[in-house]
Amino acid sequence: MRPFTYTQPETIEEALTASVTNTDSKYLGGGTNLVDLMKEDVERPSQIIEVADLDFNTITSNETGGITLGAMLSNSETANHPDIRKNYPLLSMAMLSAATAQIRNMATNGGNLLQRTRCPYFFEVSMPCNKREPGSGCGALEGANSKHAIFGWSESCVATHPSDMCVALAALEATVTLQKPGGTSRTIEFTDFHRLPGDQPEKDNTILPGEIITAIDLPNPKFQTNYHYLKIRERSSYAFALISVAAGLQISGGKITNIGLAMGGVAHKPWKLIKAEAFLTGKMPTKANFEQAAELALKGAKTLSENEYKVIMGIKAIVRALEQALAKTA
Amino acid sequence: MNTDISIGTGNPIDRVEGRLKVMGLAKYASEFNVKNLAYAQGINSTIAKGTITAIDTSEAEKQKGVIKVLTYKNADKLKQYDEELPAISTSSIQPVLQSADVYYYGEYVGLVIAETFEQAQYAASLVKYTYSEEKPDIDFDSSRAKAYRPTEKSDYSRGDVSQGLAEADVTLEQIYNTPIEHHHPMELHAIIASWNNGNVEAYASQQIIDDATLTIADTFQIEKKNVRVIAPFVGGGFGSKLHAKQHVILGVMASKQIGRPVQMTVTRNQMFTNTNLRQRNEQKMQVGAKSDGSLTALSHDTLSHTSTYEEFQESCGTVTKMLYKTPNNKVTHRLMPMNLQTPFAMRAPGEATGSFALESAMDEMAWKLKMDPVDFRVKNDTQVDPSSDKPFSSRLLNECLKIGAKEFGWEERPQKPGTKEEGNWLVGYGVSGASRRAPYQKTSAKIILELKDSEVFATIQMDATDIGTGSYTIIAQTASEYLNIPVAQVDVELGDSDFPKTPGSGGSWGAASFSNGARAACENAIASLEEKSGLKLADAGLAKLMRSGNLNSFEAEGTAEPDEEFKKHSVFSFGANFTEVWVDKDTGVFRIKRMLNVASCGKILNPKTAFGQIIGGCVMGAGMVIAEQTKVEPNYGNFITRSFADYHVPVNLDMANIDVIFLPEEDKIANKMGIKGVGELGITSVAASIANAIFNATGKRMRDLPITPEKLILAEKEPGVA
Repeated sequence: MRPFTYTQPETIEEALTASVTNTDSKYLGGGTNLVDLMKEDVERPSQIIEVADLDFNTITSNETGGITLGAMLSNSETANHPDIRKNYPLLSMAMLSAATAQIRNMATNGGNLLQRTRCPYFFEVSMPCNKREPGSGCGALEGANSKHAIFGWSESCVATHPSDMCVALAALEATVTLQKPGGTSRTIEFTDFHRLPGDQPEKDNTILPGEIITAIDLPNPKFQTNYHYLKIRERSSYAFALISVAAGLQISGGKITNIGLAMGGVAHKPWKLIKAEAFLTGKMPTKANFEQAAELALKGAKTLSENEYKVIMGIKAIVRALEQALAKTA
Repeated sequence: MNTDISIGTGNPIDRVEGRLKVMGLAKYASEFNVKNLAYAQGINSTIAKGTITAIDTSEAEKQKGVIKVLTYKNADKLKQYDEELPAISTSSIQPVLQSADVYYYGEYVGLVIAETFEQAQYAASLVKYTYSEEKPDIDFDSSRAKAYRPTEKSDYSRGDVSQGLAEADVTLEQIYNTPIEHHHPMELHAIIASWNNGNVEAYASQQIIDDATLTIADTFQIEKKNVRVIAPFVGGGFGSKLHAKQHVILGVMASKQIGRPVQMTVTRNQMFTNTNLRQRNEQKMQVGAKSDGSLTALSHDTLSHTSTYEEFQESCGTVTKMLYKTPNNKVTHRLMPMNLQTPFAMRAPGEATGSFALESAMDEMAWKLKMDPVDFRVKNDTQVDPSSDKPFSSRLLNECLKIGAKEFGWEERPQKPGTKEEGNWLVGYGVSGASRRAPYQKTSAKIILELKDSEVFATIQMDATDIGTGSYTIIAQTASEYLNIPVAQVDVELGDSDFPKTPGSGGSWGAASFSNGARAACENAIASLEEKSGLKLADAGLAKLMRSGNLNSFEAEGTAEPDEEFKKHSVFSFGANFTEVWVDKDTGVFRIKRMLNVASCGKILNPKTAFGQIIGGCVMGAGMVIAEQTKVEPNYGNFITRSFADYHVPVNLDMANIDVIFLPEEDKIANKMGIKGVGELGITSVAASIANAIFNATGKRMRDLPITPEKLILAEKEPGVA
């Protein structure tokens, strides 16, 4: 491992200042992704700013009737919190499908949003990767790409975002609060937080230099009854999704009045299925409608040499997730 | 007759070394406190074929703590392979850093020695290599033209397969694929080596002490007696630690060069590139049978790869030669030299992969013949090994199949594929037979007896290893039985080349060899003591024997080896696996619901450790089906599965209840104690059993391992399935 310095600021202001002073620094939350990448020589920060113990580790009600998740709170504490389990069970289910209990105990909510792709070309420093080393090329585009994107990719990058939590947050229409030095902060829609690779795949998200995630806000409780997170993977735990679907339904008078639908494992960001959501809103929750919505969702998918299966798997996964959500009873 | 559970073999006692292990007191290779230790970190090539044209070590050498950087330019000159390549990979030398040539991606091209592990690791990343790169042979399909018949003769035939196929009422021709896999024992390969004036002492994680000693001696061209290798505990090997690998040589070389002890640990990532692999096999099966189910022909052609500098052949066809009765049989193996590291034996080499092909093909035939897969196998049983015409020393394959079927509830199996449903799941049952050679090799042991008060305490010494299998425990139980003293009074000392020679752990020969070696030493001791005292052990007990001979201590050695009867027979363990799977109708996901493994492997020395061996095999076999595979990057030749995050071994949730039945079996031909191997039998039947269950559940015939959601979702039902 490369030598680096380590600081443990007492306040967020100190953390932000340290970050601005050394642009080569990284914030350390649980370290479950950053430390791995440092061992692999992929991340090479000269300074580590420990932020896990800063004061953003609570779950509180927010003014809009929703809930605020502290960015430094662990994934385990979040997923198992009684309010989350009761009011946002879709989020809880998605989070508990991720990684292992040990990793979830360490991983933070802010860190989860910032985790980097699992693309093997990104992890192997001797391989070309535009995300790791801009201009070096994309090894996966014409290489081993069975686990890569089918939506929104570019010639420079076909990587996917690996998070489960973020897929649920996209379906739940969360917002992210970012703070910058001087005490000012801004809030953005969750779907605007991550970005598509375009010609700058080195940028995973829209955070500006010096900013730090302080909170994730969820709107009013929703999908408390009819929800499901379906994760298709190569083994029953401790594996990233080939395809995942977060589905939440609100049903009234036999019709879908509100729906949240997002996919993981298919794009550089959690992929919100806006067209499918629009199609199903106001319709009856029938299998035929689910199937039509799923076809609509996968329309426009652009497959690579090895990942054609993701289209058929994606359709099946959406239908199944919606059926499972519908089958749940309070 | 021993009624006390603490005396003798056959009892399910806890591991005698278990307490040391759970307390962290069992020391593994890299855990020994050696004074003045330095640390070495290997550097791996980043091309698959070519030549090193320049090396810049200046930045690395400037770093704090760095003692030396080794490359081919300043490495010791070692014994080289003979001119003609490829060499046989079981040869006793392991040259490394001997030239500028690179044969595969990840090959060692250098070594940094530093005061700390972290310093060595960091400095290793700073050594800069320039290569002249050539186009590597990394694609299986485009290497076909280079296929050759291996030096180790493994082709076989009897009768005439084409005639057998012509006579058949039903025939089958299919190809079955198994991918590259890696061993990945829990304990990383490691060595602490000390070179002192031409003498070598090494703590090394090895399965066979004598082989490691020999490899070090031959590679450095020093006398074997000047090399001592110590490995009291080995954290798994699965074949990867059978022979000493290059890091063993690098560790010794580093110590020689700096005049200090050096520790070298192979990282988990390097466990993919520097400690061998199980090769990818493409297996073509041709089967013919009469409509009554009797086989008329079995043919098994295997195509796989080896490195461009060494040869290793996994004999997938072995099982097809001997498991079923058929007059016409043909087995071939072909190898393609590729720019990948040399493959090597991985748990049940040949049997685990070959049985997947054979037992899948048998299942396909049973379906075509409209026969029950159990009945079809039973129908083709043979008590004589058709490949050697020798009788089997014992063979209870039919009993394994029939008893297993009864205990598993085989009659509940859906007769037609895809007809048994549970919600969104399709339920299927699968079966597979298994065989694994039960070898037994020359083994020596030393016994030291000490009389303290009125009790005798025994110490057994042998260079055997315990790779997690339970060697310590079964050796202690054996000595206890033959000395008639409690297991608690037997101390077993293993893993030191100063102790009497054994074949080490591997190939399922450990238990039979070690126990019979210990038995021989005990019997020699007792015979001498009985002669001296004029008493009999059975009447007087060991303490009285020693007292009346006026002995406070006594030593004896003994050696056991296969006898003439053994050589006149074909000695195998047999088994059967039954699996129930649930396959999701839509998502490509399947779950193993339950598994029963029936084993006939002679005397069970300790049901608890033997059970552990079988269920370990079942999990590893399940891994072959669920997700284990090492993928070669198609353009550069590196492995894209390079950590446990991508190389998916089964997790607890993937496995279900596994029941094991050991059939009572007495086989005194196999060896005097009647022990046959257990270690590799468990894995052998699993892959086909699961794949056959998936067919029964879905009507989809999965012939390429692993059976990932991706493959299952794309697979079509077999023609003829409703």
